[in-house]
Order: sequence, then structure tokens, then C-alpha cells
Amino acid sequence: MTMTSPNPGAAAGTFVGPRDLLEIDLTSRTVRRSLLGDDVFADALGGVGLAVRLIEERVRGPLDPLGPDNPIVFAAGPFASTPVPAANKHALATISPLTGLLNEGLSSSHFSAVLRRCGLAAIVITGAADAWTTIAIDGDDVRFEDASALHGLSARDATKALRESYGDRSLRVCAIGVAGERGVRYAAVENDGRQAGRGGTGAVFGAKRLKAVALRGRGEVAIADPAATAALSALLRERALGPKTAKYRVLGTSANLRVLQRMGQLPTRNFTAAQFEGAGNVTPERARESKDTYVELRAGCAGCPVQCEHLYVRKQRDRRTAAASEYESVWAFGPNCGVDDLDAVLDAIGRCDVLGLDTISTGSAIAFAMECAQHDLVPCDAFGPELRFGNGAVLLPAIDAIAERRGLGDVLADGVRAAAQRIGGGAERFAMHCKGLELPGYEPRALPTYALGLSTCTRGACHNRAATYDRDLRNPSDVRDDEARARDAIEAEDRAVAWDSLVLCKFVRDCFEDFETEAAALWSAVSGVALDADGLRAAAQRTWERKRAINARLGWTPHDDTLPERLFEESIADGPNAGRRVDPERLASLRDVYESLRRDAGVPASA
Amino acid sequence: MKVELFGMARALAGVSQVELALDEPVTLPDFLRSLGEAVPALVPDVITAAHDAFVEPNLLLLDGRRAPTDGETFGDADHPCVLFLASGG
Repeated sequence: MTMTSPNPGAAAGTFVGPRDLLEIDLTSRTVRRSLLGDDVFADALGGVGLAVRLIEERVRGPLDPLGPDNPIVFAAGPFASTPVPAANKHALATISPLTGLLNEGLSSSHFSAVLRRCGLAAIVITGAADAWTTIAIDGDDVRFEDASALHGLSARDATKALRESYGDRSLRVCAIGVAGERGVRYAAVENDGRQAGRGGTGAVFGAKRLKAVALRGRGEVAIADPAATAALSALLRERALGPKTAKYRVLGTSANLRVLQRMGQLPTRNFTAAQFEGAGNVTPERARESKDTYVELRAGCAGCPVQCEHLYVRKQRDRRTAAASEYESVWAFGPNCGVDDLDAVLDAIGRCDVLGLDTISTGSAIAFAMECAQHDLVPCDAFGPELRFGNGAVLLPAIDAIAERRGLGDVLADGVRAAAQRIGGGAERFAMHCKGLELPGYEPRALPTYALGLSTCTRGACHNRAATYDRDLRNPSDVRDDEARARDAIEAEDRAVAWDSLVLCKFVRDCFEDFETEAAALWSAVSGVALDADGLRAAAQRTWERKRAINARLGWTPHDDTLPERLFEESIADGPNAGRRVDPERLASLRDVYESLRRDAGVPASA
Repeated sequence: MKVELFGMARALAGVSQVELALDEPVTLPDFLRSLGEAVPALVPDVITAAHDAFVEPNLLLLDGRRAPTDGETFGDADHPCVLFLASGG
């Protein structure tokens, strides 16, 4: 059964739901609250669409990402705090200190829901405080609180302290850890144990001396058509409890390790190999099999039936130190650093969460340093234990040095692109990034459509904004023509924007029979603003065009849409994909077709 | 015919590999029917109740490299693997 619009063909209506925009200037400590018009929601929907629109209105040219002019935008997912499952999410956008370009991340759970219960569609924070500050929002009331006592605490401990201070265990907090305070350019922002990890939004918080945003909201969130919303949500929830999401519920994402290993697409030792001989030692199956050694815990976001998070902790340890074994995190410290010691990998992930670091970029920075050490470009004893592929003992000292910006850690804290420039001696060839953002754990040399999407992604090397690996993995030896591949990449990018604007968790993507039609029906039922599948595609395309327009203002040119040299110059050395590399001429040709198709499509008019 | 299992298929079957008694070469429908009968635990989360299709995102790749085309036959030498599409968060 396909979920369809409750009122097909209806005229665009008045937006129902929280619609306030809160603009906060940390320098002047002033607050302005206003209403966003129906046209804004019809144009941008919410989440990433709304956040990008608000950034576009404020970023008119190049700026210092760590300066006071850089806005931080929270934009609520339009289904947050409604019965729609897997949708308590919000977008968090700013200009990235890692890439110098637009960075739009997502986070989820209770904070997202309470944002809307405060009557808010979005918050824009500019300026910089002169001392560590918490912005405390209690419904209509906004206060600037001294956060000096929270300085040096992890996001989790800061949350605990704020709850004790307010005497409210249900206070919802978004905060940074030490890495954000020290300006690590890939510092994360955390709420409810979830992170907006990539691109360094935590460093922008730190530059503004913004330690935390605390929310208390008890308002009702209005829904345009409660009956239709309930019916559509029940259907989606039923599907989300079925086989389409079983892999997330039963195994979690890190089960990908064995799959990618078998396919010869598991980037290993900083992309010098595509199969890792120790992969089996760091899989969730291994932890699960070792019942005498590890305890497995399950967790998930508020209101989500999938509960995808699988955490592991050694039996004798405090369960609160359990680390989430997400694929990207395990990959970053496991195969990418050549480490097959599960304890070392889990400890590294846990330490990143405590310090507030993006695990992908942190693991990539350490793998980069390991390769630099192998070529005598940095000292092997920079972190104490030998800095070499396979040595799990070096992970924690390296992570601590990065977060505290000590020694080589200070160099790595700016990301591999900047670190390679400082180290010199040809270190650039070991820096695996696109536009400054470190690569995630998929092998672009074996996934040609993904390679295109990775290069064109407005955020840099993000697998969740151009998830074309899905298409390549369905048939790795597929030989489609350039136009078919470019169309696939564009469709995947625009669909990701639609997901991120609504904001729905991508882990329920297989639960839709016809995503655009069904998601548009959900939007219409919840918001009262009529939308069909074509309207949803057009809104997503508008937002994608806005992302690129913002980047162009910041200095991006099409020449920046490329891949690390290694992927062009070095073939995969091992496994089923041995001998494959990215042909630079083929990629250039694909990009030309891609650009031509993007130009032909134009920018769709707002509803 | 030896079949490698990954992800959900491996978790449900409790083994990393199964052996099917099939006359080669086989077609995908024959393969699905035989696999469903040999490993009932794969139904309905990996193979449909009718044993006529994989439940997405599970699929069959030959040697982890390519999906069989419609009507294509394959055998043990093609190293069939049942796995699901990888996707991170």
C-alpha cells in the first residue's frame, strides 16, 4: 500500500506548527523573536532546507568561520514532536572552519522535539560572547548564563551539571566538549548522546564561547490533520519494525565491515589497500560472540522504533562508558588505522565522544599521521607509543593531543588538508579529503557514481549528502553511460536534501514504497501546506542550488570538485577490485555531464 | 553449491556459509527456492515468504562483484554471496 496525500490537489494552505525564528546576538546579548511566513515553509520545508535558506540570507561573501559574523542555525525537523516515527531531528548549519564552505549537519532525539515545543522553527546565533556562555531557552524566555563552571567538561557532564543547576532532569542540552573549546576544526556538537559530528560546528561554538544551548519547552505542537498524520505514521512505524530495518535493529551499521571486506571495498591503512586482514576482529559479530568479555547495549533516538545504536563495553567496566559501534567510527580507527584490536577501537570512539570530536575526521587525521611517520615526515614518537599503522596503543594519546592541541596534535587539529600543508615534504599525497572534509569509509575507486557524488558534494567528502554508493553497490560491475551516472548522482543528492529537509532518518529509507509521494503526503498532513511529489523534488532542488550559491559566495569554484590525488594515481592493490583507480579524464567528463544536467534543470520556482 | 552469508543472513542462519544441493547451472529463482528451503530462518527477513525474491536491501552478488542479470545462470565457481547493501549513518 502506498501512503497518499489526504487532500490531493488542495491549494497551498497556512502552515500549522511552530513557526518562530529566534535570532540571538552573543556580542550584544540581544534577542529578537519573529514569525516565519507561510512562503518560507512552502519554499524550504524545514530542517536543512530552512537552515540553508537562513544561512543564504546572512552570508553574502567570504567570512572567517571562527569569527563573530558566522551564523549558527538550528532548524527543527518539521515532523519533530509529532507521531511521525524516526523524525525527531534537527539541522545544524554554519560555515565550516574545516572546509570554509557551508556545513549542514543533523542531530536528533529529545532536543529536536523540545525545540518545537518552545514554539521554534529555527534559531540563528551570531556574534561572540566575552566569556563562556550558556543560552538558556525556557519557552518564550531567553537568558545568557555564565558557563565558566562548565568549561573543560564533556558535553555529557555539562548536561548533567546544567540539569542539576536547574533542578530539571528533563532539561535538553546541546553542548561542546574540550575539542570545541580548543577550536579543533572537526569538533562535534552533542545532544542526548547524539552528535552533529562533521565539519567542525563545535569549533564555531567554541569561537563564540558558546558552551551550551539548554531548552525547556512544554508547548503543544499543532498538527494540521491529526487523523491523517496518525494513519500515515502508523503505517510507516509498522514498516520500520519489519525486515526493511532489521539490519539496523539486529546488527547495527558496523555489520558493513564484513560486507565491504568481502567486496574489496573497505578502505584500509589510509586508502593504501581495500581489504583489511584484521577486519573480522573489530566487527560487532566478534563483540557479540565474546559474551564473556563484552556487554551489548541498545539505544536510539526518541520516538524511533528502529533503535539502531549498538554499544559495547567490557564486562568489568562502567556501562556508562559503552561506545557506539557505528560503521564509520569503527572503520576510522580500525581498518583505516590498520588496528584490529577491538578494545582499542571502542576506547578511541568513546574518547572522541567525551572530548567532542568527529570520529571520521579524527581517525583519518591519525591514519594520515601514521603514513607521514612511515615516510619520516613526522616523528614516530610524537604521541609516545609508536605512530604506525596497526598500533592501537597510539590512538588514545593521539586523540588527547588533538583535542588539547598539543604538539603534532595541534597540527592535526586543523584537518588533514591544512596539516599536509604545514608538514610539507609531499604530505599532500597522504591527505584523503574533498574540499577539506576527510573521506568516509567507502572505496571510491570501486564505486564510480559514488566517486562523482563525493567530488560534487557541497559539504566536502560526505557519504550522506551524495549517497550514490547505494547504487554502485547494487551492481559493482555496472557499466552505465556518463549521463545515466550523472543523473543518478543528481537524483541521490536531491533526494538526500528532501530527507534532510523533512527531516527523516535515512535508516527508514527502504520503508517507503514511493518516497516522494509518501513523504509529501506526510508533510501535507502534518503542516497543512499541500505538497505533491513534484513539489517535494522542486523544493529539494532549490535547496541544493542554494547550497552551491552559498559556497560560490565563499570562494568555491567547480575546480574544487575533485578527489584526492591518491585515487587517481594509485590503483587498488588487493582483492576483487585490484587494479581499479579513478580515471581523472573520466571523472572530468562525468562532471561536465553532471554540470550540464544541473544547468538544464534550472532552479525551480518557489511554491 | 557453496553460498557465503553476510549481515542479516549470517545472523539469522547462525553460520557463515551454507551448501545447497543444486544441479548447476542455476537460475536466481531456483537459487532462492533452494536457499529458502535449506535455511528457513532466512524467511521472511531475507527471502520473501514465497521464496521468490530477496527482501531489500538483501541481494545476491557473484564473488561480491556483480548481481546476476535476468535469466543469467551461475554456479559454485561464481562464489555466490548473500549480503545487504551497506549504508552508514
